[in-house]
Amino acid sequence: MNRTIKFILNNELIEADVNPAAVILDFIRDTHLTATKEGCKEGDCGACTVLIGELKNNEVVYKSINSCLFPMGNIHGKHVVTVEGINQPGKELTPIQKAFVDEGASQCGFCTPGFIISLTGYLITSDSLDAKEALYSMDGNICRCTGHNSIIRAAERITSNFGTLANANGTKMKVLADNKFIPEYFLTIKDRLAKIDRAEIQKNKKDNNGASNYFVSGGSDLFVQIPDVMMKSNIKFLYDIPEIKFIREENGNILIGSTSTVNDVLNSKIMQKYFPSLFEFIELFGSIPIRNSATIGGNLNNASPIGDMTSFFMGLNSTVVLSDQDDKQREIPLRDYYLSYKKTDRKPDEYMKYLYFKIPTKPYHFNFEKVSKRTYLDIASVNSTMLIEMNGNTISDVHISGGGVFATPLYLRKTREFLLNKTLSIEVIKEAAEISQTEIAPISDARGEADYKKLLLKRLILSHFIKLFPEIISIKDTVL
Amino acid sequence: MKNYDIINHVRGESQFIDDLNVPSGTLYATVFGSPIAHGKILNLDLSEALAIKGVKDIITYVDIPGENQIGGIIQDEELLAEHEVHFMQMPVAVVIAESEFIAREASRKIKIEIEPYEVIIDPREAFAKNKLIAPPRVFEGGNVDAAWEQCDIIIEGDCDSGGQEHLYLETQGAYAYPVEGGSFRIVSSTQGPTAAQRVASKVLGIPMNKIEVEVLRLGGGFGGKEDQASPWAAMAVLAAYKLNRPVKLILPRHDDMRMTGKRHPYSSDYKLGLKADGTMLAYEATFYQNAGASADLSPAVLDRTLFHAANAYHIPNVKVTGVSCKTNLPSNTAFRGFGGPQGKFVIEAAIFKASEIMGIPAHEIQKKNLLSEMDEFHFGQKAKHCRAKISWEKMEDEFKVYDRIKAIEKFNSENDLTKKGYAFMPICFGISFTNTLMNQASALINIYTDGSVTFTTAAVEMGQGVNAKIREVISRVLGISHDKIKTEPTNTSRNANTSPTAASSGADLNGHAAKIASSMLKDRLIRSAAVELKLSIYELSIENDVVCHKGVPTQLAWADLIMRTYNKRISLQQQAFYATPNIFFDRVSNKGDAFFYHVYGSSYIEVTVDCLKGTYQFDTVKCIHDFGDSLNEVVDIGQAEGAIIQGLGWMTLEEIIYNKDGRLLTDLLSTYKVPDIHFAPKDMDVRFLGLTNPIGIMGTKAIGEPPLMYGIGGYFAIMNAVMAFRPGVSFKISSPYTAEKVLMNLYSNVNIDEKVSALKEAVK
Repeated sequence: MNRTIKFILNNELIEADVNPAAVILDFIRDTHLTATKEGCKEGDCGACTVLIGELKNNEVVYKSINSCLFPMGNIHGKHVVTVEGINQPGKELTPIQKAFVDEGASQCGFCTPGFIISLTGYLITSDSLDAKEALYSMDGNICRCTGHNSIIRAAERITSNFGTLANANGTKMKVLADNKFIPEYFLTIKDRLAKIDRAEIQKNKKDNNGASNYFVSGGSDLFVQIPDVMMKSNIKFLYDIPEIKFIREENGNILIGSTSTVNDVLNSKIMQKYFPSLFEFIELFGSIPIRNSATIGGNLNNASPIGDMTSFFMGLNSTVVLSDQDDKQREIPLRDYYLSYKKTDRKPDEYMKYLYFKIPTKPYHFNFEKVSKRTYLDIASVNSTMLIEMNGNTISDVHISGGGVFATPLYLRKTREFLLNKTLSIEVIKEAAEISQTEIAPISDARGEADYKKLLLKRLILSHFIKLFPEIISIKDTVL
Repeated sequence: MKNYDIINHVRGESQFIDDLNVPSGTLYATVFGSPIAHGKILNLDLSEALAIKGVKDIITYVDIPGENQIGGIIQDEELLAEHEVHFMQMPVAVVIAESEFIAREASRKIKIEIEPYEVIIDPREAFAKNKLIAPPRVFEGGNVDAAWEQCDIIIEGDCDSGGQEHLYLETQGAYAYPVEGGSFRIVSSTQGPTAAQRVASKVLGIPMNKIEVEVLRLGGGFGGKEDQASPWAAMAVLAAYKLNRPVKLILPRHDDMRMTGKRHPYSSDYKLGLKADGTMLAYEATFYQNAGASADLSPAVLDRTLFHAANAYHIPNVKVTGVSCKTNLPSNTAFRGFGGPQGKFVIEAAIFKASEIMGIPAHEIQKKNLLSEMDEFHFGQKAKHCRAKISWEKMEDEFKVYDRIKAIEKFNSENDLTKKGYAFMPICFGISFTNTLMNQASALINIYTDGSVTFTTAAVEMGQGVNAKIREVISRVLGISHDKIKTEPTNTSRNANTSPTAASSGADLNGHAAKIASSMLKDRLIRSAAVELKLSIYELSIENDVVCHKGVPTQLAWADLIMRTYNKRISLQQQAFYATPNIFFDRVSNKGDAFFYHVYGSSYIEVTVDCLKGTYQFDTVKCIHDFGDSLNEVVDIGQAEGAIIQGLGWMTLEEIIYNKDGRLLTDLLSTYKVPDIHFAPKDMDVRFLGLTNPIGIMGTKAIGEPPLMYGIGGYFAIMNAVMAFRPGVSFKISSPYTAEKVLMNLYSNVNIDEKVSALKEAVK
């Protein structure tokens, strides 16, 4: 099952004959690069964060990912950067490392390399330097010692002292290298990556035809759930197949390729145009490294009852387009896609190519709500999405989804049917929230008791309206 | 002031156990745990697992050459289950294989048959069924029974506080290998190297001098590696012993969370009597501690609860009872604060209820009852250098807290979607192991002929900066720069019979020992310099790496002095020992000066609750803390901030859930949530009280644990905000205050405290 995978690890070209289902973290640590740590092996602590660079339009584009979940099969032709690859020669510290030392932003040190990578990645990838964004760049890293305040102060030192770096159009990497944020060798990576035969990715893909037990894109779910099973499976890697990585507008629809990552959706100009509050919604999904690897296809096909993107796209009444190995396609409305717990209508040899949804008719309103124990980097207790199209005060169309309240992601049919063509009023809204209670059956688990989840869905539905129609309903209208 | 450890951390060059370059031939161990929480083992079938290629052996209790017993305070804990299992995932067997992957594969093939027994997870149920770890403990001061009738108001109630997973980022682990002559070396991630050594020696049935334990550093400990690092060291060395090979055992996160104990959950009853003006006269409480399946450190944790039951308040009549209840959970253990936070939570709950019923703000009751100089604690010690009031007053002044409260009230009157809440939290925390004999430490300093210095003490570095502080002590005493001084890993062959690095005492105890050792060296060096310079020892000193005469640098530099001293055949090596003076505690009367000193401080916390959804965000933490002087301000502030956030996490997000079968439901980072970078309050201001500690090392005070207890205020700040949304209603007190509980309080009646709600109504 082994494959030859060629990539650059820090400053070294690696040609490895490996099981492509091994995660990069294990490979890195086995080569005695031990700065990258294993903290949880499920993408929830960030101690294993590395940067992945790949050639796009003749530039190396970097992003942070959790190396504990990212399979070797996804890194052919890429640049993998660990802290060892950022260290300056000798004992000199990069400005970020120095800021961490000066602020005492490291105590036991186990999580620290992950933070350094995330913040360095932010400087490499961002067009501007901003304290809030710098903080967000570390949203996938957990520090148990400092409480994070000293880390935030270290990041603020960087954004305030190096604010002008962002103006270095086109020569950014050179400026970063001159300021010792990254070593000089980074400037050679573009040419060196170009020499790696990208066609091998396609070859790898064909080798596996027909024999795959699993389709894998970002790996951020399967490698949490069943990493040891993956090591013994045939895998078809989808992540680098360009044909299914796109977001485009076509015939009044928006189409999203299945290996578009969550951050691809977030950064999409098309999506931002139609959904101006997109960031507020999607910042609640995982962390930056997770959003960089997790794909729409993965999230939908994982079939978790609580998938955020599932809830999001179900609320947009999307349709899923599947394809088999012979490229025979079929379409299924997302609301009908889930058959039972963790079971979709997808056949074993089918994979999702893309989804599409109709661009809503104006005036429309859209809202996504999610509540989890911790606001960020947490799985929802309950989530809900609502798209509503209005004709004056009358609801001309509406779609509402609820996650975490049933064995599958749920399209709230009864609630929709009740609301359709109704004139918006406090009574109608409150009754809709009550109707939602009749079509759900949450279970008690680590994310909350069933009674809580019922109440929470009701609150989230009310929240949609309180936020979107403050002139019609306020929180005071909904108290006990 | 540089912290050398951090420089290595940021470059990823600091080594943890799993980073060690191990020789080829190293084997990997994984632990097989019981799938049932309580029962009798009927059959254990290893055949299928042993048949897997690459599996070298599977070890069970029958392979233990010494004693299968790892209990510390009470001998009630087996390393590997023999005939019965007492909690789910209790270790039963250790699989040793050529790789971790193979070991895991094999572990899944082990078959075990268990006859299930009744599973108890609730401490009150265990108490009712007389399942106790030890007889109940009672601490009493004054006479509560006589005091009740002097009280104008008496409040009775109950409350619960939840457990807390340590979630050190580096999981438990050890690497063990045979060395010649039947001896073994263990590299362990432990706060207690001697504890690991003792347990390993007992399990192998060989003397302690044949086990050497070394600790590089810990990727976090928080108490979780005080006693509970030992089993993994013992299992690794047991495998190394049987197979005569190096063996590495690193617990995967999932196993770590399911197999190790946590902060003790408590369920408590309280009765508080006050005068009408808010003066507290009498306090009685019973603490039902959920100890888990064995004693571990539970009795000591429980004692600390009783010591701290009255927090920073003087209550003349106190009677507190602690019951350590045996349940079918992993044995709960030390966690930063060590029972102190659980004790303080109950008195704060009682004060909160009193404030509701009496219609006066909780902070007025808090302030009125703060400890004064020479007030007597209920265990007989007197408060000396008491700083309860001064820190409170400084907090009031510096942070203009009452203006802030007015601003909150205004905000709440103008906003419905969100409400703000606030709370105050004073603390008083005793420093010393309450088991007096543990208050000892040692240090060893070597000066090499080139003038470079190493030191090693009993202290284990786990991020708390103890080595940076001790380096500072040595630097100051010897008059040399930090870069001449290197830390050696903690090692039982260099420092024997060490107490664990715990109870916030690491820098105090080991700093004192290092100070004694470096002072002895300095005396010899000054004598040597006096001979070389033909000057009086009374006029010489060492400053900035040079011998000075009456404060003026001479020609004799440090490196030169060292070589000349060596040439005169004078020792450049010094070991020293320190034992805390003037502490004692009588465990029969439960009276005595248990603590060398106390740490005080006051904090103020604000939170915003999203009343649509029940979520919340802490906005502000303002704190005046009694640090004493500081050996390293960056380290001290970092300790305080980290502890406060950990305390807030305990009170809010961090929820441990076991189902009735004893299965941990929150057994991964995806279900157990600790504070992340967004959780941090944007406005966090921790300031020094600015008073020295006359008996501390270089004027300092211990810092590790006390600030965690400021986090308790977080609970009451949220409740304060919830009550702003739902005035007139009183709620049951049960931490953690998750978003779930907040929403239920905002919009349902299930957690309403009917009794207090009615009393409130009656007072109106």
